[in-house]
Amino acid sequence: MIIRRLISTSIWAAIVSLLLILTASPASAQKKFFTLQKDSVPVFRGFAVSLDLVGAGMLVFGDRGQIEGAFRVNLHDEWFPVVELGYGKADSHDEVTKIEYKTKAPYFKVGIDRNMLKEKHGPNRLYAGLRYAFTNYKVDITRPGLTDPNWHWDSNYNIHGESCNMHWVEALVGLDAKIWGPLHLGWNVRYKLRVSHKEGDFGTTWYVPGFGTNDNGRLDATFNVIIDI
Amino acid sequence: MRKWLLFLCVALVVSCSSIECPVDNMVVAVYEFCDEDGNPVTLEDTLTVSTKLRNGQDSVVLNKAVGVAGFSLPVSQDHPVDEFYFNFFGKDYDVTDTVWIEKEDIPHFESIECKATFFHQLKSVSYTEHILDSLAIKKAFVDYDYKTTHINIYLGGDR
Repeated sequence: MIIRRLISTSIWAAIVSLLLILTASPASAQKKFFTLQKDSVPVFRGFAVSLDLVGAGMLVFGDRGQIEGAFRVNLHDEWFPVVELGYGKADSHDEVTKIEYKTKAPYFKVGIDRNMLKEKHGPNRLYAGLRYAFTNYKVDITRPGLTDPNWHWDSNYNIHGESCNMHWVEALVGLDAKIWGPLHLGWNVRYKLRVSHKEGDFGTTWYVPGFGTNDNGRLDATFNVIIDI
Repeated sequence: MRKWLLFLCVALVVSCSSIECPVDNMVVAVYEFCDEDGNPVTLEDTLTVSTKLRNGQDSVVLNKAVGVAGFSLPVSQDHPVDEFYFNFFGKDYDVTDTVWIEKEDIPHFESIECKATFFHQLKSVSYTEHILDSLAIKKAFVDYDYKTTHINIYLGGDR
């Protein structure tokens, strides 16, 4: 319990640190949160779309994962408002407990990234960002062939179509490198912190679309193919 | 750059994510003996509790308990009524009462890695009254909590 509290405190410390990094700017511009470097480059620099290959790979080669795409606006190569849409799915079976777990649902994220490099208009970027995310999903959980250990009657362990939802926030850092023309490749590491969740009377869910396996917080990574429009 | 390295180090430290199955994962109903005023009392008789299995055989679930103030019994996973035979063996008597526990069974899930369990909502208790005076539900929800009394047993009758 004490360890969990320490970890929780560390998580908040990390998020506050990230927020400080995000808002850090030259002394002359510290009065405003949202600032842009003063130069001759226009503010609106276009859009970018991206696809995460890690989640897609997990979905293709594993029993759970997600397809996730993002739409990002480029403001002066410095600030990047982002909308991310995904579809998470799990169809898992545990060999030991023999429990089968199924869920599939879309999820939504909205947030902003900031390019932390001094040279904002170069081909590569170093990001720090924040996201707010939400999903509404249903779960089916079964354990076929369960027998009561004392009376030896057959037990019908079946949780079907239970409605659940979860809200969480993400703090991320990442890199984005220009490969050729409009094509960029990038990765980022995200710490996900559960803010609120609603589950049925049956207990807690295991895999949450977009969040991953359910816990108070977790670390994830994405590898993105990005196309500038 | 140093700032970023520091942040990454903190992120790695806090990234330890685990799903823990509960250590105390037995789901049992706790019974406690009471006098007519509801105060806890100790049973002076020898108590044996048995039940009937699916194949019709009797199975002892509490064996020759002496001088106990309470005990715990298993709850069937997915069966509407549990039937127990309470045998009280005293100095000059050997009497058995039958107890029926009616309940609703609720599948409980923690993680795909934790064993499937059921929690229970006790609905009613009925019984014969040879030695038992009455039984009353004190806490209706049966879960991993094995420290709280679920059913009070009031003794009386032919002792």
